[in-house]
Amino acid sequence: MKSIPSIKIACCVLCIVYISANSITEKNTDNTTWIVQDSIALWLQAARDKSYNQVQQKAFLHKAHTFLQSKTNDASKAKALSTIAYRYYQLKDTTSFQNINKKTLILATQLKDSFIIADAHWSYADYYLNGELYEQAYEHFTIAYNHFNGIQKEYETARMLYAMGFIKGRYRDYNGSEVLFFKAIEKFKKLNNNKYLYDSYNQLGLLQNDIQEYDRALFYHQKALEYLEKVANKKNNYAISLNNIGITYMKKGEYRKAIDYFNKGLVNNIEVENYARLIENRAYSRLMLGDTLHIKKDMLRALYIRDSINNRAAVMKSKIRLGEYYTFIKDTTTAFRYAQEANTLALRIKNGRDYLESLDLMAKLDPGNAQHYLRRHIQYNDSLITVERKVQNKFTRIAFETDEYIAETKRLSEQRIWLIITGFGALLILSLLYFLRIQRTKTEKLLLETEQQKANEQVYLLTIQQQTVLEEEKIKERNRISEELHDGILSRLFGTRVGLGFLEVKGDTAAREQQQSFLTELQEIEKDIRDVSHQLHSTFENVEVNFTNIVEQLLQDKSDQGGFAFQFEVDKNIAWKQISEIIKVNVYRIVQEALQNIVKHAAAKQVSVSFSLNNAILVCIIEDDGKGFIMTKRSSGIGIKNIRSRVKKMKGTLRFSPETGSGTSIHIHIPISNS
Amino acid sequence: MEERTYTALLVDDHPLISAAYQSAFHHIEKEHQDIFFEILTANTCDSAIAIIDEYAHANRLIDIVFLDMRLPPSKDGKFLSGEDIGLRINKFFPDARQVVCTTFNDNYRVHSILKNLDPDGFLIKNDITPVELVTTIKEVLTQPPYYSKTVIKLLRKQISNDLILDDIDRKILYELSLGTKLKDITEIPLSTAGIIKRKRHLKQIFNIKSADDRELVIIAREKGFI
Repeated sequence: MKSIPSIKIACCVLCIVYISANSITEKNTDNTTWIVQDSIALWLQAARDKSYNQVQQKAFLHKAHTFLQSKTNDASKAKALSTIAYRYYQLKDTTSFQNINKKTLILATQLKDSFIIADAHWSYADYYLNGELYEQAYEHFTIAYNHFNGIQKEYETARMLYAMGFIKGRYRDYNGSEVLFFKAIEKFKKLNNNKYLYDSYNQLGLLQNDIQEYDRALFYHQKALEYLEKVANKKNNYAISLNNIGITYMKKGEYRKAIDYFNKGLVNNIEVENYARLIENRAYSRLMLGDTLHIKKDMLRALYIRDSINNRAAVMKSKIRLGEYYTFIKDTTTAFRYAQEANTLALRIKNGRDYLESLDLMAKLDPGNAQHYLRRHIQYNDSLITVERKVQNKFTRIAFETDEYIAETKRLSEQRIWLIITGFGALLILSLLYFLRIQRTKTEKLLLETEQQKANEQVYLLTIQQQTVLEEEKIKERNRISEELHDGILSRLFGTRVGLGFLEVKGDTAAREQQQSFLTELQEIEKDIRDVSHQLHSTFENVEVNFTNIVEQLLQDKSDQGGFAFQFEVDKNIAWKQISEIIKVNVYRIVQEALQNIVKHAAAKQVSVSFSLNNAILVCIIEDDGKGFIMTKRSSGIGIKNIRSRVKKMKGTLRFSPETGSGTSIHIHIPISNS
Repeated sequence: MEERTYTALLVDDHPLISAAYQSAFHHIEKEHQDIFFEILTANTCDSAIAIIDEYAHANRLIDIVFLDMRLPPSKDGKFLSGEDIGLRINKFFPDARQVVCTTFNDNYRVHSILKNLDPDGFLIKNDITPVELVTTIKEVLTQPPYYSKTVIKLLRKQISNDLILDDIDRKILYELSLGTKLKDITEIPLSTAGIIKRKRHLKQIFNIKSADDRELVIIAREKGFI
């Protein structure tokens, strides 16, 4: 016993090693991602390949799953996971199935992929259906149905309806079941799916049997047969349908017709299970007609077949039938034994209806205990009905809850949409406000700059005005002095001299000569005074104070502050009046800034400022012999920055030639328009 | 020189100067026994006009006039300077010998005085010595005109170039030299635009490239226009 699992493990390990080795060699040869994708598909294919045994197939699945885990979470991964889970279910590895299907569902929910969510639920439903846990199965089918329906997957939706109808029929909710099958049929018709149309009609026929609507059951079975004609592989289903029709006739009491159908079904090469069904039903029909020939043999054969394929429900059925047979031939003891066996089996496999049937039979065969068996029958029947009701209620509730869940999801998604819209709106408004604010700040900044420029110009004009007034006063004063000298003093001196000249000086020749020389000297003095007066008066002064005057004044002031000597050179060809005030203001400010820096930091002895003109470009050079630019860079940052910004504003160029220890020179070139 | 009594009018706001002129006349009287001068002095425009009017009214003649250019204006405001007095003398006493005696020595004023009054004598006060003053009186009375050396120098300078400037040009240059603002030049019967046009023309004449007026004034002074 112990050796078998260890062999399996060894096999698994071998497989994995083989696959890894394979994948490694593949990886080395080609594009890695393509190999990864492709190897998963290959493994999944291998896991379905019947030429491998189940252990090998599971190993392939395991490999595929391990590989998948390293991949990013996307729809293709979820799909692959779902496939792996379902294959595990098919290979009856329920633990791996549960585990991986759960992962699939979580990932699919994250990705909001309805198809994969539905697919995973379908897998669950199949799993529960297989374990005959109908309530859970029904729940999963319902969820899967809703998702499939939501994304208009007609085929899958119809499959879900079919499965749900099947489960409902099991719980004798015939009405509900019928409705579900109708819905499924409607969809299958649209899809032209004859196989499922056959199945659906077949199921409907079976349902009608249960509610004793035999004619309708026959109609449905005929319909099923019609669709079966269009299906390729129909042999087994054909047998089943004929069997079902036979059963209907049997129940209807038309045993001969039933026997005909059973015989029709008994052709060559049918499945043993169906064969067992047909011969048993035929035997029972014959029994009902009172013909006991070969009955026992057929019935025992059916039982033997059923027992060999371990179909316990069928075995139980066979035993009940055998009980009835022995009752008919009055072998009460054997009959009761079969009935009792059936009863025990029914109890074990929880088959309510057959349990009741066996109780019926036992009551008939054991009249002494009939009371007891009947009571148990009633009791069980009641509890069975209660359970069925409960389950029916539950189905209704599931349907309702799922509807509610859908509505809630819808409500939530609507809410989310509203949230997104609101959020987006808020974001839009905020960004708009932000944009407006930035715009306003910009405008304010612009206004401020304009104002500053205006103020600058005004300062300049005021400076000029003040300077003009000063100059005018100076000239007036000078003229006044000049006139005073000229008209007053000079005239009086002249009068005095001439008067003196006519004075008869008494004395010797020497004295007369001396008088004459004094007169000449006086005349010289007059001449000097007049020259002075003249210079004062007629020295041409342009009263309109020009730019160079105020720059010179500035240099004068700064040289006093900074204790340096200055040179000021101006090209005579510069027509200052034609240069715009803005440029002059800025140049003035630049010179001011530069001189300020020199005063503060450079400790210069000699400063020179010059203006020249070179092809409509005003060149201004400010030089000093101070400590140099680099030394003072940090402290004069703002000043330099101001100069830069002013030059930039005038579309000029700026060049510093800092040489540490040997002074700084600033070259500024400003284009001046001719207008 | 004819031996008789001459009437001399001395107009100068400085009594000292009038006295100096008198000394010169006395000096001549001393030299020539038969020559006498009746000397009248005025040191304002008003007193000068009073004398002129009185003599004209009485049909008396004035023979020689010493006239200063810079005088306090008359009270009625009609006579602003010696120039106006001179014009009046020219009108009433066309034969009177006028001697302008001034401290002006700029070309423009000299030129304008010469043109307006055409005096018989033109003295720049600084040139004058007692001897020259005496010579002036004699020359003016016998063979006018007599110009002192500075005046002659200025005249020489002016005729040495070929530039032709009219009175308005001269006036503009003169005002510029005084530093008068363009818009304040009211004595010239031209619009500001007209003055600017003339100025540009003057710059062309003097071959000046600078936009500044300074150079124009300097050159005009060198050439003897102001």
